[in-house]
Amino acid sequence: MQSYRQNKKTIFMLVAPGYAFFLLAVLFPIGLSFYYALTDWSGIGSFNYIGFDNFQRALGDRVFWHSLKNAATLAIMTVTIQHPLAFLFAVLLDRIGGKVERIFKTIFFIPCVIPIMVTSKMWVSIYNSQYGLLNKALDFLHLGFLKQQWLGDPKIVLYSLIVIMMWQGFGWAFLIYYAGVKSLPEEVFEAAKIDGANRRQTLGRITIPLMLPVIAVNVIWAVISSLKQMETIYLTTNGGPGNVSQFLANYLYIKAFDAYEFAYGNAVSVLFVAVCLITTVVLNKCFKKEYY
Amino acid sequence: MRNVKYQIQADSIKASSLPGKKFARYFIYLLLLIVAIGQLFPLVWLINYSLVKDGDLFGPDLLIWPRDPQFKNYKVAWVDGKIPQYLLNSIIINVVSVSLTVLFSVTMSYAFVRMQWKMRNIFLTTILLGMMIPLHATLLPNFMSFRAVGIADSYLGLIIPYIGITLPLGTFLMTGFIRSIPVSIEESILIDGGTILHIIIHAVFPLAKPAVITVIIMTFFTTWNDFIMAATYLASDRYRTLPFAVYNFAGQYASRYAVQFAVMTLVALPSLLLYMALNDQITKGITIGALKG
Repeated sequence: MQSYRQNKKTIFMLVAPGYAFFLLAVLFPIGLSFYYALTDWSGIGSFNYIGFDNFQRALGDRVFWHSLKNAATLAIMTVTIQHPLAFLFAVLLDRIGGKVERIFKTIFFIPCVIPIMVTSKMWVSIYNSQYGLLNKALDFLHLGFLKQQWLGDPKIVLYSLIVIMMWQGFGWAFLIYYAGVKSLPEEVFEAAKIDGANRRQTLGRITIPLMLPVIAVNVIWAVISSLKQMETIYLTTNGGPGNVSQFLANYLYIKAFDAYEFAYGNAVSVLFVAVCLITTVVLNKCFKKEYY
Repeated sequence: MRNVKYQIQADSIKASSLPGKKFARYFIYLLLLIVAIGQLFPLVWLINYSLVKDGDLFGPDLLIWPRDPQFKNYKVAWVDGKIPQYLLNSIIINVVSVSLTVLFSVTMSYAFVRMQWKMRNIFLTTILLGMMIPLHATLLPNFMSFRAVGIADSYLGLIIPYIGITLPLGTFLMTGFIRSIPVSIEESILIDGGTILHIIIHAVFPLAKPAVITVIIMTFFTTWNDFIMAATYLASDRYRTLPFAVYNFAGQYASRYAVQFAVMTLVALPSLLLYMALNDQITKGITIGALKG
């Protein structure tokens, strides 16, 4: 039986096909990207090896840091606005139960399943100044003075984008908290009830402490996905006006394909991977370990 | 059991409710309703505006009563949006990518968990590292290498990256699950003269069904909703997937707003119908995937 488990041919047959896809589509490209980043290639024609100049340039690039700042703003707003609401609703719907619970749960997740192409273009229409839903709604509520160029005004464009991303991501955040609440052991709540704990005490002393691991997972996930935002930006503002609403993944893309600075785009890309890896590792070290 | 809990809590709510608390509760219900409307209303608006005449969009009304519903908007969207062609491409690409991702994540996970070999930790670690690598970092190099080897404009140009991108999470979920399957089942198959192939078909697949469903759902939504990989790798129209129906309309029909709303509705429809039909499996699958991943 041991020989079965050590059979080299079997192991190869099990691992090689799948690993080949991963190697070809993920690992190898990252290496190739690093190689391109060391050149001055525009994307067409010949190129020279220029060492780490592109990396140096990226680290001094204001747009690079501004993109990270935008991701941080998105992460902070998600965690402080979307998450408390999602958490509250998860606890509340669990208590309400029955049909109401089911209906709301279903509704909250609908935006998550719709292709990002549709949601992005739909929100561009919602923000449209001529026929857009938002300005019409403000007129309807006699708040016409609040009407804006939602995606054109450099001061508010980032927040307009954050609204889209929080709208689409709400169901995710909710669903994870909801699953967490559902997995809590009932006996604890019954014991608390017998001991005469009121609802606020139950929430503060039992639900929240027991949910800490789920909160950690959810918050880490929110921060990392803030960092990785790209499609919504690409399909709405493309980072504009200027680079006010820029995010890293979109920046590397337009540098490579629109600005014909392919090598520089790759340098940003490699730094982007590094930022994602470091953030993931640091967040996991800080939060997850405490609870598991 | 759960109903008992609700009953107990409902009683305790009644017993302890003071006027102020009641107000707070109504406020929370109101908040719940506002958020639900906020989540849903844009989609209702989208469908509503897809049924009116292009010129009617500019009125002051939030919703327009479609006295004369313009179903021809959908006809234009369907035909000129090339929906049948894109839908077929989406189905072909997704069926192949999802099946292969499931198959490979099972075979690889089995080798990582049960087989004994020297390099397994290196291979497993690199695969799991893949979960942290953003797919956007693979766009530029893949664009060049796919073009160089001539698969840029083919089904393979999407199937390969889709499998590569979704395998890490699939393998992660599957290794966790296979660890929980008792070894004794496999050993009895081996004693009866079965091979590893028998084990995988007769023991691992059936027993890991919940994990398989989760991997199917996570992979499907990643690949079905993808747009940026398809936009980057495909050079021509031929193999484009469903989301591109929206993309194509922007320039060509820039002033035909209602038709654009119709095409957006049509593109959203398959995902929406699937979600409605398999609501419970999908949310369960995604929570398992998200909580573990």
